Amino acid sequence: MDTPEFPTTDQLDRDIAVMLAQDARLSFRKIATDLGVTEGTVRGRVKRLQSAGLLKLVPILDIDRTRDSSGTPGEIGQHMMFITVKCANGKLDSVREGLLAMPQVSALYDANAAPRLVAVCILPSLEDAAAVMNRVVALDGVREADSELVLQSIKYNAAIAPIATVADLQSSLGDTAPA
Amino acid sequence: MAILSEDKPQRRLKGTSLDDTDRRIVDVLMRDGRAQSTTIGEELGLSGNLVSNRIRAMDAAGLMRVVAVADHRIHGYRLVARIRLQVTGRPPIDVAHQLAQREEVLSVHITSGRYPVSCLYAFRNAREMLEAVRQATADIPGVDDVDVELINNVYRYVPTVGPLGT
Repeated sequence: MDTPEFPTTDQLDRDIAVMLAQDARLSFRKIATDLGVTEGTVRGRVKRLQSAGLLKLVPILDIDRTRDSSGTPGEIGQHMMFITVKCANGKLDSVREGLLAMPQVSALYDANAAPRLVAVCILPSLEDAAAVMNRVVALDGVREADSELVLQSIKYNAAIAPIATVADLQSSLGDTAPA
Repeated sequence: MAILSEDKPQRRLKGTSLDDTDRRIVDVLMRDGRAQSTTIGEELGLSGNLVSNRIRAMDAAGLMRVVAVADHRIHGYRLVARIRLQVTGRPPIDVAHQLAQREEVLSVHITSGRYPVSCLYAFRNAREMLEAVRQATADIPGVDDVDVELINNVYRYVPTVGPLGT
């Protein structure tokens, strides 16, 4: 699939993103004052970035401490697993839909090294890792699927990531550049 | 309007896990990470002060953080690759720490796979990427194989859980 064009963003968008990365709940008034623009401008920019899928303001729970206080696993995961899927020719789309149907898949990319998909899964327990892999290898068009469990995270920059999905980019194509 | 409840003393180790009130607050934040404490309080029948204290406490304890995730392209990075490294004769974690020092390396994990070091690496252009890959093999001791996958399209990105403790 061709990658849709990326919407135009400018230095102000970047400055706002940097300030929000420090504190996502910082008041728009404070951001506006620091950047020398009006509060309305900040609000408008944030709204535009959010609706274009270029900025997400969301709570993230710590993966190591997401069990309920009762000790039973909560709905939210405990383990991170990467799955690399090599697809048969012409099967990338159907494998992708199969992976998107799985709630454990929290992020999905394709890599242009090959007809290859990379899924990031969040799993409540290690038993789920096996269950998820069984489901993945059973998808029509999967030639090979490798799993890697994250044993330790050394760095995690929560502020920058490839987040704008194909659907986001397609829907924001009609937007004009910021004034 | 719901009765405002006070924050009763809890029989839990403070800051070690989320209780039910915390989870309800997080659920509202999932819809709008910038929802005002008073608005959240009105919806849940809690005082705005309690909500804002809880959000602050979860943040301070490293249990939950409201983040602003921006697409790499806003920051001038045109490319992001997943780069995985095989390491011999040296603990992989040493290589991971060395990579983590670079600003362009967004995340680094140690995994169970054939490539024990896995990172997301952002680049301003293709030349930067080629240089980083060359450097990884030539300048980082112990690296003997590098696998590069350029991320092309994103189909889903729903961050709910992450290694905040790193």
